[in-house]
Amino acid sequence: MLYRVIDRADVPSLVAALMERYEVVAPVRRGEKYVFAAVSDFDEIELDYPSTVASPKKYLMPAIQTLFEFDTAANDVTDYVDEVRLRVLFGVHACDINGIMNLNSVFNDARYPDPYYAAHRAATLIVGVSCMPSEHCFCNLMDSEEARPGYDLFLNAIGDKFLVSIGSVTAANILEAACDVREATDADRIAFRAATRARQEAFNPAIPDIQEIPMLMDAFHEDGFWDELGGRCLSCNACANVCPTCYCFDIRDTLDPGAKTGRRERVWDACTSPQFAMVAGGHNFRSAPAQRVRHRMYHKLNGFLATHDRSLCVGCGRCAVACKVDISPIEVLRFFERKGAEDAE
Amino acid sequence: MPNSATTVAVHPYHDAGPELTGAELMRANPYRPWPARITSITELTATEKLFEFRLVDDKVREAFCHAPGQFVELSIFGVGEAPISISSSPTKRGFIELCVRRAGRFTERLHQMQCGEIVGIRGPFGRGFPIDDMRGHDVLLVAGGLGIAPLRSLINNIHDERSEFGKVTIIYGSRNPAEVMFRHQFEMWRHRRDFDLYLTVDHADETWDGEEGLVTKPFEHLEINAENTFGALCGPPVMYRFVVAEMRKKNISYDRIYMSFERHMKCGVGKCGHCQIGHQYCCIDGPVFNYWEAKNIQGSM
Repeated sequence: MLYRVIDRADVPSLVAALMERYEVVAPVRRGEKYVFAAVSDFDEIELDYPSTVASPKKYLMPAIQTLFEFDTAANDVTDYVDEVRLRVLFGVHACDINGIMNLNSVFNDARYPDPYYAAHRAATLIVGVSCMPSEHCFCNLMDSEEARPGYDLFLNAIGDKFLVSIGSVTAANILEAACDVREATDADRIAFRAATRARQEAFNPAIPDIQEIPMLMDAFHEDGFWDELGGRCLSCNACANVCPTCYCFDIRDTLDPGAKTGRRERVWDACTSPQFAMVAGGHNFRSAPAQRVRHRMYHKLNGFLATHDRSLCVGCGRCAVACKVDISPIEVLRFFERKGAEDAE
Repeated sequence: MPNSATTVAVHPYHDAGPELTGAELMRANPYRPWPARITSITELTATEKLFEFRLVDDKVREAFCHAPGQFVELSIFGVGEAPISISSSPTKRGFIELCVRRAGRFTERLHQMQCGEIVGIRGPFGRGFPIDDMRGHDVLLVAGGLGIAPLRSLINNIHDERSEFGKVTIIYGSRNPAEVMFRHQFEMWRHRRDFDLYLTVDHADETWDGEEGLVTKPFEHLEINAENTFGALCGPPVMYRFVVAEMRKKNISYDRIYMSFERHMKCGVGKCGHCQIGHQYCCIDGPVFNYWEAKNIQGSM
């Protein structure tokens, strides 16, 4: 990886340079909270944000996406073009970049690459920024506190400067043209290590660091704990909507007025929906809320890992904030901690 | 990474130029259904019909090759899409047979359709039965109810290449005689030495000359060379545990008992999540799993 140093004061010119060609989506303040939104000026951006309400995944997989249009009389597809905007996701935290890496491994799977996701991903530059953990962050426990590949630029804050990791030629060209780019000095490297250490020490110690999570997910698959969670779950899908790595969708046909033409769409869906695992004839393979909550946690903390060699959950903590009834991977980690304490007695 | 274009366009549905092969056309967008014409409709029972389809585009039809146990996504535009297992043998090229039960909005509409009408088909998807591994071995096939639909693809394939397989035993259980499908075909085979055939119904009537009892009943007097036998089963979820137990009693190895799982494969390409079983996707990792794999999937049985 190539590293260079820029002044914090140079970031507005970087953003201005990006805006010449790209729509810039960045964290902005909305009341007490932060969201990703398109900006037209650097001053709208809140680069030192704790976390956003939802992840930026909607810019890669929109909540409703047309797959094609059709004619019902001919019973065939009609010509359809999806225009994808060139876009920069600016100020993305490491957890979300790792989340996008997980989406990549699902949608760019060599067996069935997804042309819609691929087009959106290819039109998107990602500029990451380092962060300090807030109360619900546990990316450090999910091996996601650091973004290794998966970005074009990553801005590591070191005082009034940024140590910038440069991940692509396109980004290097824009950065060099827009900013005063310097080689990193020993002092910069020392400052970077100090910042990294400060972040490591700032994680909420009340979130337990559990070893062998996948094995525990299997071992406690039948535990009454899941009934407890299922009994609380409102099936509202808030967790899935804010999650950077929930990618499940439904496919539906929507007819235009007159019903002669229409479009096939995919819309975000979630395994916490009561009907999610229902088959024709009405049998529901996960009819109980406990089965659905367990499946979601299983996929986040074990199932995805079995096939993609990394945890699907990136520890961003958004679901823990969004859930009205305290269901989140953090609760699962606390359950494992209690079990461990019981065993020790 | 982008640098010069101001937009990126996806052209999923342009008529493809002659430079693309059928396989490339289908691969370019796995969500795109291809027009197929209904060429034959056979009423099987009061609720099931066998539909035969022919893909309209020559290149796509040529490129369509399936294995027994695979499925397609069938589209009726404006109504939706449904995953349906292929009932015809891969040896029958050019046509695709689907056995469809009238069980909801989509299949209700399909059952109203006539020969000559157009639907959309994409696929085939999934991992089917390991027919090549089965060659040279005995095969014990057990179907319950609509489970005969995917298993018929395997049965017909074995039939068409009969000399490549050892002893072949078919057990097919239905609830009552009126629900027995493909009866003509089975009647035909009953008088041949190719297959040991056991048709069972839970509740017989005066017309029934097969066995009465559960699908597991014929196991009582079944002689099996376990060393050389593959098991294949498909049926309602409740059937699996009992049939697998019978096969295990006969000492068929864990990894030679193959079963097809039913889930709602909405996208068919390992993305939408609806067909997940534990860590696996029924649509790309299955729908056919062997018993050893199934035992290692949380929530499979």
